[in-house]
Amino acid sequence: MKKSLSILLTLLVLLSMVLAACGATEEPAAEPTQPPAEPTAVPATAEPTEVPPTTAPTEPPAPVASLKIWADDTRTPILNALAEDFLTQYNVELVVEDLGRVQDIRTPMITAAPAGEGPDIFIGVHDWLGAMIESGLVTPIDLGAKADEFVPLSLEAFTYTDGQLYGVPYATENLGFFYNTDLVSEPPATWDEVLEIGRDLQVAGTVQYAIAIAGDPGYNSLPMQTAFGGYVFGQDENGAWNPSDIGLNSEGMIEAVTWMKGAVDEGLMPDTTDYETGHQLFETGQIPFLMAGPWALDRIRASGVPYAVTVFPDDGAPFLGVQGFMINAFSENVLLAQTFLTEYVATEEFMQQIYETGLRPSAFKSVLAETADPDLAGMGEAGANAVPMPNIPEMGSVWSAWNNGITLALTGEQTPEESMNDAAQQVSDLILGALAGMVNLPGSYQDQAGCGNQWDPACKATAMEQGDDGLYRLTVQLTAGDYEYKVALDGSWAVNYGSDGALDGPNYTLSLASDSEVTFVYDPESHLVTTETG
Amino acid sequence: MATVTLQNARKVGRPSPVLPRLFRLAIVVAMDSLVVWFLLKLAALGYYPFAAAIGIIALFVNVVLLRKETYPIRWMVVGLALMALFVIYPIIFTVWVAFTNYGEGHLITKEQAIDQLSKQTYLPPEGKAYAWTAFKSPEGEYALWLIGEGGNGYLARPGEPLAQPQPGELGVGELDASGIPQEIEGYERLNAFLAAADSNLTQVMFGEEGNTIQVRSPREAAELLPLYVYDRQQDAMIDQQTGLVYINLRGTFTTSSGQSLRPGFMESIGLDNFENFFISPALRGPLVQLVTWNFAFAILSLLLNFSLGLAIAVLFNDPDFPLKKLIRSLLIIPYTVPALITILIWRGMLNPELGVIDRALEGLFGWAPPWFTNAWWAKVAILLVNLWLSYPYFMLICSGALQSIPDELAEAATVDGASSWQRFWRITLPLLLVAVGPLLIASFIFNFNNFNLIYLFNAGGPPMANTPTPAGHTDILISYVYNLAFSGSRGVDYGFASAITIVIFFIVASITLFQFRYTRMWEEVSENV
Repeated sequence: MKKSLSILLTLLVLLSMVLAACGATEEPAAEPTQPPAEPTAVPATAEPTEVPPTTAPTEPPAPVASLKIWADDTRTPILNALAEDFLTQYNVELVVEDLGRVQDIRTPMITAAPAGEGPDIFIGVHDWLGAMIESGLVTPIDLGAKADEFVPLSLEAFTYTDGQLYGVPYATENLGFFYNTDLVSEPPATWDEVLEIGRDLQVAGTVQYAIAIAGDPGYNSLPMQTAFGGYVFGQDENGAWNPSDIGLNSEGMIEAVTWMKGAVDEGLMPDTTDYETGHQLFETGQIPFLMAGPWALDRIRASGVPYAVTVFPDDGAPFLGVQGFMINAFSENVLLAQTFLTEYVATEEFMQQIYETGLRPSAFKSVLAETADPDLAGMGEAGANAVPMPNIPEMGSVWSAWNNGITLALTGEQTPEESMNDAAQQVSDLILGALAGMVNLPGSYQDQAGCGNQWDPACKATAMEQGDDGLYRLTVQLTAGDYEYKVALDGSWAVNYGSDGALDGPNYTLSLASDSEVTFVYDPESHLVTTETG
Repeated sequence: MATVTLQNARKVGRPSPVLPRLFRLAIVVAMDSLVVWFLLKLAALGYYPFAAAIGIIALFVNVVLLRKETYPIRWMVVGLALMALFVIYPIIFTVWVAFTNYGEGHLITKEQAIDQLSKQTYLPPEGKAYAWTAFKSPEGEYALWLIGEGGNGYLARPGEPLAQPQPGELGVGELDASGIPQEIEGYERLNAFLAAADSNLTQVMFGEEGNTIQVRSPREAAELLPLYVYDRQQDAMIDQQTGLVYINLRGTFTTSSGQSLRPGFMESIGLDNFENFFISPALRGPLVQLVTWNFAFAILSLLLNFSLGLAIAVLFNDPDFPLKKLIRSLLIIPYTVPALITILIWRGMLNPELGVIDRALEGLFGWAPPWFTNAWWAKVAILLVNLWLSYPYFMLICSGALQSIPDELAEAATVDGASSWQRFWRITLPLLLVAVGPLLIASFIFNFNNFNLIYLFNAGGPPMANTPTPAGHTDILISYVYNLAFSGSRGVDYGFASAITIVIFFIVASITLFQFRYTRMWEEVSENV
């Protein structure tokens, strides 16, 4: 008896707690609506036409709103310093949270934003856009006339395939061409000259190699690849990336890798492409040339090696990475965040301050023009013809295949042709995914053939099977009626053929007077489908 | 027996424990109210599965603490609750994710995606766009001053037709240089930030019904119309501008001709992830080679590490070994340094250009093994580093186990004329295996999935030639699928990764079961002794 009484008591107490808890959750919801009403009376100082309050504001008014920003450890102190100024000027509070390095912001953003716990604004790199936009995590920004004040390439980098701008850039980073000023008086104009200078110094016993690739060979030797005409993804006429045009096995790319292999065979370049190795060799004067980014400036300076940064030989182009501010699509203050970025961030004073500690060339024209640091100026020149890193999600399929292709060629496991052809094939297979090679017949009949949907190019129930004669066949039982269908390859709509056998052509039509068994036959040569009704 | 008497003693010794019980009740109530508050929060944010998991755990804790029969396990209840939360819940979550397309491109829920798409607007061909300035009355009502294409100023209020007042009309004050009234009677002019600070501003419809104007961006307000409307019947988004129907196709709204809407959303896709792993030749890739190396790596690591550890332990088991304590302490050092650091140091020491080992070998023999570029030497290097990392562990457990083997057995064998070799193989080793057998299995499983070592040392390199997907010669299953799941066309694919994890779990589980059979055999050996 005593036991059940105590349980009853517990339940009662619990119930009261539940009610109390309910009441408590009610309160915070009511809170935020109140403050905005008040401060409207406070004239904003930004408007010159407004008269400042005559009564001395002894205590600061409560901020009308606040913006949460996720920043990296370099940018956080600057933003924090500006937050005070921003609060007094506009009565809007900036809450800046330090998430460590820039690349550490990506994962928390992906997990927290959909859960409603993300910031309003976050710092990121432009090549995240693919994943972020396809997942609905960022929202476009309209810079209006202010767009003219930014370096065009940096805006291009933050523009997605839909033509919209998704970030306000503040800094760019790309590889620069470093040379040892003690060993080399004039920077070479061609890659062959690089090897010549290296050869002479090697014969004289001064250096070990001419140059080394410091890091993953794809990214870190891109200026060599582009000098020969190599590329990663092609672009369509509007400048949007085209993931079906893979350039890893393009003529220029194979030529470049062949040239690199030649340098390795001659002993002018090590076949390992390790970051540490390349840097150690340059910093100890064992190689006269190095391709390195602004992130390595600190260590190269500390090593005391005499150096200068300049443009790449043969107009070689590095990848351009652009850092910028993006807006969380789940933010409740999208309009305020957009206003903050266009009115406060996209100004010379802000860009100047953020440039000063970042050790990266600015993405703002007027700040970039006044770059005093010769290294950053050189870095900026080397990046003038840079290619913005493709911001489409398909780029994720490229990195390891690309690196492996070059490594296999440099170590002599495969010829450059073989290795780069393999790499291109791997990328294309990864992009197509698991269903590469599937021939499907999406259409309005599919729900009768065991698919959950109509017009599904990835439905396994309607995948066609190849016979010994090379033709693909599919037999289905259909009820009387009119149907439409098309041929789609690789389980996606990317490559599809219509009734004229042409890409993206019109639908096939099929009329059945009675319930019947239909066999579709697809000829991969002509891309045409014939039907047999039985 | 002992426990029974103890309980009796307590019953007799203590009077009815009212105070402790009240205390316990207070704790339960405090905990429950905390849990309930937490649950409400979670439910409000939409984390229903997590809320349910917490709720079940809380219920369980309550039962344990309040029921007399279950009272004895109260000491374990915290541990059990934590296990449920941090082990069982993630397992359930992983299994669930394996049947969805969760990953980049499909991160948000369907509701969120529909909500986001429904908010998208478009400007109809005859629609007009304006630059805007917001004014607000003390009552919180908004008015917009709009400037159209020709530079004409308009006054827009919610529910009223657009007006084009001159200064002085409708309470409009003098215009400033950019054509915006400095004041409007009854309203306060807001600067861009004050206006934007109200997140509801974009929802306000200005102007007459049927011809409303909405704020779209900091610089533009326009006669916008919603672009997409969700049709529950068809489970599709309908484009209001073109009439296109976007059907939900595995978490992406897609038309019958292949156009699709961003963003995609999380959706159950049945067994697709598993099928893709097993069916697709492109994804299976060099699986046979990888699995072979994976087993070879785990077995060789185990044999090498255990043999070296055991050898050292046997050496030090001799009481007359000189400087025993000092040397043993030194030998344990590799175990005390974090593996992360050790691996990176080894990576540096084996570096072909700068590494100490390679420099030394080259100086002595004029040749050093290409640790990072040759497939076989890379495998040797991995095994070497793993040996360095794990032999102290086996040394420690073998020394302990050796102590527990009675000396008499060895003495008896000596009397019977067994050589020291025979003594080791026939007596010491079988007895030792009884003690360390389970640890060997644990070590095998650990090495089978030793992602850290592979990934930090050379990330699976050097690359394999002629493979359908990128793979390296030292890649083990877990590092290979890590790359596979995180470098697909959509970027990170958690659904696919979860599916592969489950497959690997079954591989490891079956090995373990198989090995447990063997340990039982060892137990029989010990019984016979």
